Amino acid sequence: MLHVACGRRLLSFIMTTKTQHLHRIATIQGFGKKPRTLTTDDSPIRVEFAQHVDYLNHLNDKRERVVKASRDVTMNSKKVIFQVHRMSKENREETLAKAENDLAAVTNQYMSKLVKELHGTDFWKLRRSYTFAVQEYVEAATLFRFCKSGTLLNLAEINASLLPLTEESIEPLQINVLDYLLGLADLTGELMRLAIGRISDGEIEYAEKICQFVRDIYRELTLLVPIMDDNFEMKKKMETMLQSLVKIENACFSVHVRGSEYIPLLGSADPDYSFLGLADTE
Amino acid sequence: MRGAFRVVAPLFAASSAVSSRLSPALAPFLPRNPPSPLRRLFSALPPMSNHSPAATPPSAAVSLLESSSFEKQFDDFRVQLEESGNVRERIRAVVMELEAAVRLMHSSLLLVHHTAPNSEVLDKARAQIEVLKGVFHKLTDILRECPGQYYRYHGDWRSETQTSVSLIAFLHWLETGNLLVHAEAEKKLGLDNSEFGLDIEDYLIGLCFMSNELPRYVVNQVTAGNYDCPRKVLMFLTDLHAAFRMLNLRNDFLRKKFDGMKYDLRRVEEVYYDVKIRGLGPGDSIQEQNTQA
Repeated sequence: MLHVACGRRLLSFIMTTKTQHLHRIATIQGFGKKPRTLTTDDSPIRVEFAQHVDYLNHLNDKRERVVKASRDVTMNSKKVIFQVHRMSKENREETLAKAENDLAAVTNQYMSKLVKELHGTDFWKLRRSYTFAVQEYVEAATLFRFCKSGTLLNLAEINASLLPLTEESIEPLQINVLDYLLGLADLTGELMRLAIGRISDGEIEYAEKICQFVRDIYRELTLLVPIMDDNFEMKKKMETMLQSLVKIENACFSVHVRGSEYIPLLGSADPDYSFLGLADTE
Repeated sequence: MRGAFRVVAPLFAASSAVSSRLSPALAPFLPRNPPSPLRRLFSALPPMSNHSPAATPPSAAVSLLESSSFEKQFDDFRVQLEESGNVRERIRAVVMELEAAVRLMHSSLLLVHHTAPNSEVLDKARAQIEVLKGVFHKLTDILRECPGQYYRYHGDWRSETQTSVSLIAFLHWLETGNLLVHAEAEKKLGLDNSEFGLDIEDYLIGLCFMSNELPRYVVNQVTAGNYDCPRKVLMFLTDLHAAFRMLNLRNDFLRKKFDGMKYDLRRVEEVYYDVKIRGLGPGDSIQEQNTQA
C-alpha cells in the first residue's frame, strides 16, 4: 500500500527528471561510467524496482532505529538491576526507592522510544531486533517487584504499564509471552546472585524465600518450554536456571547444616568461636 | 535377626519421633539449652520456622492468593502456547503439501530444458499454478484465525514461497519475455496484501533463484538450435541485474543471492558471445552482414 503510493510518486518523479536520475544512477553504480543497461530508465523493470528500493530502505531504516532504541533499553535496564543488587539490610528502603525511579525512567524514556519507533506495526517482523531489550526490561522489572513485595510481576501488569506510552489510535506494543518467559529465565540468574548476597549479609530467611520462588518458577517453566516457538534459546536458559537453583539450594543447605555457628558469624561484628565446638560458657 | 531388627526399629521410631517433634509448630517451645550434640540441630530450627504452614495466618492467606495468581498466569500461558503450537502444526502440514506442489511444478518446468520452446510443456506447468493457489489459500485460512501473526510463522513457509515465485516468474518470462512484477505474482498465487501477502524479500529472492536457472536454459536452447535465445536472455538478465543494483541491501540471504546473479549474467554473456562470433544467431550470419554493408 505504502510502497504502491510511493511507486506512483516516484514514477512521476522519474518522468520529469530523467537526466538527473540517469546521472545519479551512473554515479552510484559506476563512478561516472555509463550503467550497464540495454533499456531506458522508465522500463517496466526499473519502475517496478523503484518501489522495492523504497520499501527496503524504509524497512531497514526502521530496523536500525529499533535496534538503537533497544540498546538504550538494555543498558538502562541493566543499571536498574545493578542498583537493586546494591540493596543491603541497612539501606533497603533507599536503594529500592532509587531503583523504582530508575525503572520508571527506563519505561518513560527508553521503552517509550522503542514503542514509538515500532509505531504499532511489525511487532513480529522486527522481533529479533528488540527481543533482547524487552527480555532485559522484563528481568529488571520483575527483579524490582520481587525485592519490593516478594511476588512475581505478571505479564498483564507489565503490559498495562506500557499502554500509556502509545497514542490511542495506534496499536500498542505488548510484550509477548515468549519474550516474557525468556526474561523470566534471566531473572532467576539475578535472583541467584541476590540470594548468595543476602546469605553473606546474614539475611537467611530472605535467601530461603528466593530459593522457594526460583523453585516455583523453574517448575512452571518446565511445562512451558517444550511448547514455546523456537525454544533452542529457552532450553539453554533452563539448564542455566537449574544450575542457579542448585547454587541457591546448596547455599541454603550450608546455612542449615552449620546452624548456629553460621548465623552469629554473619552479619555481626562479635567474635564467636562456637564453630570450634566450644561451649559458650567457659 | 528379628531381635536385632526389633532393637533397631525403636531407634528409628525414636529418631522419627524426634524429628516430628522438631516440627516447626513446637520449635519455639523447645528448651533453649539442650545437650550440646543436638544443640546445632535444634537451633537450626528458628530460621526454618518461617516456612511453616502454622505460621501467622494473615500472611499464609496472602501467600495462598499470590500463589494461585502465580499459577494461574502460567496456566494461561500453557493454554496460549498450546494453541499457537497447534496453529504451527497445522501450518507445517499445509507447508508439506506446498512442498509437494512446488516439486511437481518444478519437475514440469524442467522439461523446457529438453527442447526448443514448446507450448505443451508450458501449459502443463501453468496448470500447476492452480494447485499452488489452492495450498496458499489453505494457509490464508489458518492465518485468518490469528490476525497480525503472519511474521510469527513466516519462517515455516518462507523457502517454499521463494521457490514458488521463482517458478512462476520463470514461466511468465518463458510465456511473455517480461518480468513478473510483485503485484502480479501476488495475484497469480491468490495472495492479498491485506491478509496473507507476498513478502517483498521473498519475491526478490525468488527472482534470484529464477536467474540461477537461466544459464542452464540458455546453454540447452542453443544446443537444441534456438539461436535467438541468448540475446533475449541477455537483455532480460542485464536489465534485471541493473534493477537489483538499485537496491540497498543488508548483508543477509538476499544479498548473497543477488551476488550470485552476476555470475549467471557472465555465463549468459559467454554463451551469447559464442553464438554471435560464430554467426549462428538470426541476423548474425556473415553473409547477411556482407549484404547489409
